[in-house]
Amino acid sequence: MFEQQLFNGLTLGLIYALIAVGYTMVYGVIELINFAHGEVYMLGAFLCITFISALGIPLFPAIALAMACCALIGVSIDRIAYRPLRKAPRLAALITAIGVSIFLQNIAMIIWGSRPVPFPRDAVPRAFSETAFTLGSVSVSGLQVFIYAATIAMMIGLTLIINKTRVGTAMRALAQNQVSAALMGINVNRIIAFTFALGSSLGAVAGILVGMYYNTLSATMGYNAGVKAFAAAVLGGIGSVPGAMLGGVVLGIAETLGAGYVSSQYRDGIGYAVMIAVILLRPSGLLGKSVGQKA
Amino acid sequence: MKCKRGLVVALAMAAFFGMANLALAADVIKIAVPSPFTGPAAGYGDNVKAGVAMKVDEINAKGGVNGQKIEAVFFDEQCDPKEAATVGTKIAGDKALVGIVGHLCSGAHLAALPNYLRAGVAAMSPTATNVTISDKNKDAKGQVWSFRNVYRDDFQGAFLADYMAKTLGLKKVAVFYENSDYGIGLKDAFLKQAKAVGLTVVGEEAYMKGANDFTPQLTKIKGQAPDALFISGYYNEGALVADQAKKLGLAVPKFGADGLDNADYIKLAGPAADNTYLTAPFLAEKAGPEAKAFIDAFKAKYNRDVDWMSANAYDAAGMIIEAISKVGADRAKVREYLASMNSKEKGYKGITGLTFFNDKGDCEKPAFVKMVKDGKFVPAEKQMAN
Repeated sequence: MFEQQLFNGLTLGLIYALIAVGYTMVYGVIELINFAHGEVYMLGAFLCITFISALGIPLFPAIALAMACCALIGVSIDRIAYRPLRKAPRLAALITAIGVSIFLQNIAMIIWGSRPVPFPRDAVPRAFSETAFTLGSVSVSGLQVFIYAATIAMMIGLTLIINKTRVGTAMRALAQNQVSAALMGINVNRIIAFTFALGSSLGAVAGILVGMYYNTLSATMGYNAGVKAFAAAVLGGIGSVPGAMLGGVVLGIAETLGAGYVSSQYRDGIGYAVMIAVILLRPSGLLGKSVGQKA
Repeated sequence: MKCKRGLVVALAMAAFFGMANLALAADVIKIAVPSPFTGPAAGYGDNVKAGVAMKVDEINAKGGVNGQKIEAVFFDEQCDPKEAATVGTKIAGDKALVGIVGHLCSGAHLAALPNYLRAGVAAMSPTATNVTISDKNKDAKGQVWSFRNVYRDDFQGAFLADYMAKTLGLKKVAVFYENSDYGIGLKDAFLKQAKAVGLTVVGEEAYMKGANDFTPQLTKIKGQAPDALFISGYYNEGALVADQAKKLGLAVPKFGADGLDNADYIKLAGPAADNTYLTAPFLAEKAGPEAKAFIDAFKAKYNRDVDWMSANAYDAAGMIIEAISKVGADRAKVREYLASMNSKEKGYKGITGLTFFNDKGDCEKPAFVKMVKDGKFVPAEKQMAN
């Protein structure tokens, strides 16, 4: 049973990680807690099933299209809601973020209704619902394998973009000091837009994977996921991309084991307790660096 | 100068529309419908809204009540007790609202109830099944202000335990329950009767509304090899429990009460929904000809199968409107009329059967058992003798 719980927790954790990465990147670059990120995740899932059921697009192209749309949505959110407030006190941007989140949630409710919507079963490859392999008492489904593979591939890709490309270098430079980066000839707004696009498309994938895994989507699904991903990002050290990945996985596994062995009633509580414990011991999170305040 | 003229125009317009409103107010009788229309429970609110709207449209198409049209005013309380208390204050304070169809959630109903008692306005809940409502709905004079067109949790919880043990002969059951007034009340009633009829409970797992991952609890329960799962909650989460149980290889019959009873349960759980047994206050297949007409009209209008919430809401609105038509648009008289429906002879004949109330405002409704078979709700082969 322990091994099974571990695999269950890993699935959940990788999905948290995928959302948390989007949070943490935006925070790293402009120090804004983007509360609307959970809604982008929700929109990604809904757009994907709409492409599948209304336009008849097969699953994988629909995922790609949903990612592209969410990238666009992420950039638009930044352009419309955050960029005008770039120089304003941070509290203003935070309030706007919450506003955008509520706005998007209600838009989704108008478009797709308030009832939960099932993920179109026919679009999901049959191999996903079958058991992929059995390890002792543990059975892992094809979909779980796909979730592991997709999230890990995505995170490797992201790490490469951040560490090996020019735009990644620019993102890291912005995270260190926006003014100096601008003086070095970096187009600050363009890099921020890129960050939003990247984070939002990863969020969309997470939403789609959750939709496929639980087979249920609802307009309000972004809120809970957003809070969990935020906790994961904080746990790992907000602003740190590898931290968010680790934080997501730790949170997912802690929650699952907590629900399995302690009490299901406290599952959220256990997740947050782990987060608080880590922050008490390591105020900057698991992989966060304790750097001084930025100039 | 320009500015002033604008002001005058605005004032004139305000006065005009204000008067238009007053003129309108004389022509309509308003009833309040507080339910969740946004937030996680909005799907249920939608069902109640559909049922009430059908009754109101039907009455208005026939010319209304005593020459006046009925208007349903919808209040969104998101199934949240805090919101419900606010909405309850608003409804209680607006004398134009003669009666109330609501609330949907037991927790919300309990939170809003004190306002209705103080202001003296009768509320008819189509769906709130929590037991404690029966004892919290009287004012200082001992008058009941809250009625309900649905049975209580202790009734359906005990009914399900009996059905599992006596009719189906099951032995071991695991329980999932939502951590809310509804989920806990239903679970407690179930556990009490389960003990009495010799069912062994091998696991009790709580979850919060909106939870979507039940694999840890199911993995744990699977080791205990239960014969059945009892889901004391609503269909969103229930469908996930069923689906994830199936994925983990736990292929046992599922049991649930009214909260699970929704066409969306099957849509969401897919093939995993099969072999789910539910108590239902309303069974389309066992319904009379009037109900058949309602079912068809509902399907034509909303393009989905009718659910028990809509049916109960339709009748709940029907009772309030009947009371208004008999005694006029007067809050106190409407209550008196509803309270006087206390025997079979004085009951209301609606599509969900004959409804009458005891001195606690509770009605006695029979329960049916239906089940999911090949992706469809069908009446269960074995019904309990009522």
